[in-house]
Amino acid sequence: MSDSYGHDEHHPSPWGPHDWDQGAPHNSFAPIILAIGVGIFLLMFGGLFAFGEYDPSYLPMVFVGLAVIASAFIVWWRQDMSFDGTYEPRGRGVPFKNIQIRKVGVWVFLMSEMMIFTSLFSTYMRYRLGIPRCDTVFESGDWVEGVAVNCYEPASQLIASSWWHIAPGAINTFALIISSFTIVQALRWAHKPEGSVDEEVRRKRVYRYLGATWCLAVLFLTLKMVEWFIGFHVPEIGFLGIHEHEIHSLYSEGYLINNDQYQSHNYIDEATGAHMMANIRVSATMFYVTTGTHGAHVLGGIVGLTYLTYKAWTGAYKPQSAVSIEYFGLYWHFVDLVWVLVFPFFYLY
Amino acid sequence: MSNTIMGKDAYWMNFGGLMALTLLEVAAVGSDLSGIAADYDTTERALTLWILAIIAIPKFMMIAAIFMHLWGEEDSGIMTLTALFPAFFIIVMILFIGLTHPEATTGLPAWCRPGTYGL
Repeated sequence: MSDSYGHDEHHPSPWGPHDWDQGAPHNSFAPIILAIGVGIFLLMFGGLFAFGEYDPSYLPMVFVGLAVIASAFIVWWRQDMSFDGTYEPRGRGVPFKNIQIRKVGVWVFLMSEMMIFTSLFSTYMRYRLGIPRCDTVFESGDWVEGVAVNCYEPASQLIASSWWHIAPGAINTFALIISSFTIVQALRWAHKPEGSVDEEVRRKRVYRYLGATWCLAVLFLTLKMVEWFIGFHVPEIGFLGIHEHEIHSLYSEGYLINNDQYQSHNYIDEATGAHMMANIRVSATMFYVTTGTHGAHVLGGIVGLTYLTYKAWTGAYKPQSAVSIEYFGLYWHFVDLVWVLVFPFFYLY
Repeated sequence: MSNTIMGKDAYWMNFGGLMALTLLEVAAVGSDLSGIAADYDTTERALTLWILAIIAIPKFMMIAAIFMHLWGEEDSGIMTLTALFPAFFIIVMILFIGLTHPEATTGLPAWCRPGTYGL
């Protein structure tokens, strides 16, 4: 395949499809269409629930936004469909000369993602430092029964209150680390030089490792749902001294983004029996938005992994085409990296 | 990618290290550190946060360096620089938004104070 981009002779269509024999195309309408579609969708989706009121008049435009997004993907796929994955375009100028340009693209994308999470973290820090903790307010006695106090109630007050409460988050931490490991193993097997390994063994190893990654990602979201909405039952285990009890979800504990009358059994004055009531909208919103954004990335990863696993099952990954796993792996490790920070600061502290 | 660390497979070594550090994190939260905190004239919560932050740093670097191939490959240098490009903006956000203005929520205009939002 030619390494020449053929700028003079070749004029690829920005709508696709593309003849990759002529080199990588540098023009596509897909990104700008996608940006417009996402803009319409987010603006209209925001209007749909503005100020806590459901306004169905925005609904048609929400679907218009989704349709524009879908059309952007169609343009993208039309251009990319003919790409067999064995040709890797490389940068021609400084500073990325001879570097895989798609890899650079993935890194730039990940850094824009890092900015999103940094904005969430800086917001969290600002509120966490700016609003007094609920337990501090309770201990100070600077509250009146029946009047909600504006204070910060970290989710860790509930999640880190016992080993059982923290179990879903802790298991999820291990699940993500194991999944980071399984995906590099999939890459390693896909990368093995042809002839050094039986192709059927390669196929099985790659799709099993990718399948294991998929299962761990699904486990992560399942446990997230358990922690947020479902809770679980701990049975009696006599020889370990564990008594039968229920672990309530954050939802059933009242840890909600719109709860301005939150009551916890921790905030009862034993002497008078008075109960402190707290407005925890900010703290709960910070928790759900940050961990939810991370969860949305895991969900996106599951979609990608579904495709990769299916493709691996068909035996598509060879040393020449292993870069697809490598690039997805970068994204998946990034999701793990973010969790490395989210877990201690939102779940444990 | 350099294939070995101390003569062992790099991915396995990294995986083992990450698991061990995560166990330490969970143990730090589950353990009673009040005695140690008192020795250092601080609260147990602050001590736990310090431990968690210190453990998060090597975990972050191990994932980026080994699993994301920012160490030991031909293009590791330029990729690391690319990855560090937004560091300036991250520092701005953390230092100048996250850590300043401790009375932020009371100093903000009424429409964006917690609990008001103009509703």
